Amino acid sequence: MSSSAIALPGQDLGPVSSNTVGAGTHVYGDHLFASIAGPVHTTAPKPPSKAPPTLSITRPTGALLLPEVGTTVLGRITRTNARQANFSILALGSTGDVVLAEPLPAIIRQQDIRLTEIDKITVAGSFRVGDVVRAVVISLGDERAYFASTARDELGVVMAVSEGGNRMVPISWREFEEVGGTGKKEARKVAKVV
Amino acid sequence: MQTDRRRLNAPPGGTTPPVFAAPPDTKLHRPTRTRKPDEHRKLFLRTGIVPSASGSAYYEIPPQEPQPTALLVPQRSSLKITCTVHGPRPLPRNAAFSPNLLLSAHVKFAPFATQNRRGYVRDASERDLGAHLETALRGVVIGERFPKSGCEVVLTILEGEEDGWGAGGAEIKGGGGGIMTVLAGCITAASAALVDAGIDCVDLISGGVAAVKDAGKHGGQEDAVVVLDPAPSEHDGEITAACVVGYLQSRDEVTEMWMKGDAGAQVQTLIDEAVKAASLVRAVLAEAVKDGVQAKIDEAEDDAAMTGSAKEGKGKSKEVVMTG
Repeated sequence: MSSSAIALPGQDLGPVSSNTVGAGTHVYGDHLFASIAGPVHTTAPKPPSKAPPTLSITRPTGALLLPEVGTTVLGRITRTNARQANFSILALGSTGDVVLAEPLPAIIRQQDIRLTEIDKITVAGSFRVGDVVRAVVISLGDERAYFASTARDELGVVMAVSEGGNRMVPISWREFEEVGGTGKKEARKVAKVV
Repeated sequence: MQTDRRRLNAPPGGTTPPVFAAPPDTKLHRPTRTRKPDEHRKLFLRTGIVPSASGSAYYEIPPQEPQPTALLVPQRSSLKITCTVHGPRPLPRNAAFSPNLLLSAHVKFAPFATQNRRGYVRDASERDLGAHLETALRGVVIGERFPKSGCEVVLTILEGEEDGWGAGGAEIKGGGGGIMTVLAGCITAASAALVDAGIDCVDLISGGVAAVKDAGKHGGQEDAVVVLDPAPSEHDGEITAACVVGYLQSRDEVTEMWMKGDAGAQVQTLIDEAVKAASLVRAVLAEAVKDGVQAKIDEAEDDAAMTGSAKEGKGKSKEVVMTG
């Protein structure tokens, strides 16, 4: 992957026949044009394929402005009920690389909390209001909220506060323990620490 | 007229700006155009000036020459516009689903922007400018890339060009197309701010103005001259028609056109000249946007260098084995 000079929206990046459309570009007529301002990256295809190289443009502030399907996001649980947990997306990327200016509403449905034994999951036994969760966007959702899922080992609650308001640490794949030797444990869908 | 009940208002019509009396032996001279008919005034544009907004720009056409005398009376008006872009942001709770980006443009003159004091609530001419700007921008933004989100473009005109030359209490003859120069500036500033916010656009859009001057001076249309970028103070009472366009140069498309007055047989020339003015502005726009992006890249590299050196001391984190 090589990068070159800065492109501006509307700049001609070459014919479609010798380039593949990547992020931040669009096709008009039979040419590829830039649609955002930033450095142009050329990615060569994997050896067996004979496809032309992919041209993409990245934003200087971070790759994304909004989550897409498959984006890992960080957020805070705002409300729970028996069927779903509402949370607001605060940052994009598994370590929160892109911090959003405004939180985006999202939902984790009961069946998307865990990969196995879906019928035995309870929302209350997985999340509590105030938990910081890592999740992956599975759909752009309805008119209000994005739909997200934590059905993977590395997804789930990252940071939690106990009912008494104390800090907690993960001790297993489904439990958090209070810090300070009280020994109080609370059930959560814990994100595997990496 | 409805009254604004939410603010402490100045007395209606009572706040005329101070008029500085000129010494009795001086005579105020209306500025004359010294540039060629196809020459644009110099302008200033910079992006990324409002840290709290997703994107922002500042646009200015400063006075081109220093004041000829030591008078306090401003001899010519200038144009100062700030633009902020907020978004893409989630739609309000009651809004319906939209697969595209919902764009909205608001134009507001600051109360002190013109000789006639403006109100705090947007009036008809400001709403009209907003509608024109919105149509101009709708043609450049790629809305499909931002489903169920909105984007607000807010322009504040800090100093608006008058419709003529009104220095020293002189009567403005009007017809100078001051509002058209303002719209052209708004289009250019909004384009710079949208690109600064990282919103996908098919092209940069720049605004350009042209005007028909001196038509009918000797009875016919023969004397009419088409000038680029008419400064209202220089052409007070001379202009018979003016045209503003929002132009995409690399696509050769016009997304917005507004013509006023009677151009007669010159309509085609007038539009062509406005497009030429927009092309001249685009050169400045492209430079300003490029500078803004370069500044952001440099900043990101500095940050990366800082965090990189901090991380080296910590060592690698170990995998944690969990039970349960």
